[in-house]
Amino acid sequence: MSERKNNHLDDDQLLWAVVEEAELPASVGAHLSSCPQCFARKERLEQKLARLGQKAEIFAPLHRKKVSLSLDEVRSPHWWSWGWRTALAVSLAVILIAIWSSNIFVPSSDTLITRLNQEMLEDERFMAEISLLEENALPSLFEDISQEGNSVFDEEFMEFVVPSVEDEIRSHNPIVKGAELC
Amino acid sequence: MTPPDHEQRQAQTSGTESHVTFLVEKARAGSTAAFEQLVDLFQEKIFRMIYYRTRSRMDAEDLMQEIFIKAFKNLPQLRKSEMFQGWLFSIAVNRVRDFQRKKRVLSLFGTLGEADEFDQLNASTSDNPDALNHLIRQDFWRQVSLLLDKLSRLEREVFLLRFMDHLGIAEIAQALNRSESTVKTHLYRALKKFKEEQALHKLLEVEAS
Repeated sequence: MSERKNNHLDDDQLLWAVVEEAELPASVGAHLSSCPQCFARKERLEQKLARLGQKAEIFAPLHRKKVSLSLDEVRSPHWWSWGWRTALAVSLAVILIAIWSSNIFVPSSDTLITRLNQEMLEDERFMAEISLLEENALPSLFEDISQEGNSVFDEEFMEFVVPSVEDEIRSHNPIVKGAELC
Repeated sequence: MTPPDHEQRQAQTSGTESHVTFLVEKARAGSTAAFEQLVDLFQEKIFRMIYYRTRSRMDAEDLMQEIFIKAFKNLPQLRKSEMFQGWLFSIAVNRVRDFQRKKRVLSLFGTLGEADEFDQLNASTSDNPDALNHLIRQDFWRQVSLLLDKLSRLEREVFLLRFMDHLGIAEIAQALNRSESTVKTHLYRALKKFKEEQALHKLLEVEAS
């Protein structure tokens, strides 16, 4: 016992004494109860911790709202609480997305046939346009100006406006011209 | 503490405990009046418990309301009436943890931080208009935060329940659904870190002298 008296509690033992004094080995516990120095150390630490609790109480604000056990709140199940509302909104969104995506990505057979028919009609219209263009590439606006559609100007008139090269040569005097050249 | 004081306090505590047990029994039998008395007995404690963890008076008030409603609904599930306090704190601990989890998620979107600071400032100035007191209070909570930040989640919870909420080891074990030896180990670790927190020690020593 006298040996133990000189062996004061170390820091770990002191902490264990604060946590639970009964957890200490019997010899350490006996020393603690008989040694005023170790007991004072333990008391100091406990007082600090107690002061921490007291100050926390003092520095915490007072609550203004009192707890009310209103019967509605107590009895009604919280089916419309935040969590339920969120779950409901999420499930609705999932259902809507599922419906929307099923329409987009998996068309029904009727929708498919209708769409194919439409595409075929469009193709036919397009081919008709192409064949028309092959026959007469000029748009109708230019048909009046072009030769093909103009019945007013006959061959003779055109010959007058734009004489052929052969006639033009014939109109010149070839001898005079030839002499000049030689 | 002198022995007569100690005996008197023990007698008071046991008297309160038996009164609580009696009220719990009545409330379990369906008496709303008995539960209202229990609310009166515990609302300060529960409010402070939430405030220590959220540091927001408004959040603490809202959560306290929810906790007592939940307790009232689940009272028939309480097996032993004498374990009411630990059971009530277990509801509170779980609810506060849920709240903090949600808050962390929401804070990712940057919507909560400023509102909380405002709430804290508002609460501090409105409750205590004296500027010096306000500064002392701020300093105290900053030092406590510095300590709590160094503790693991379980160490922090055990430390708060033991030294700020004044629960016994068995009640803490019940509230956290852990064994008593786990609670003691974490309490020991938390105390070790508390001992190293010199600024907080100085603050507590200054107050003593």
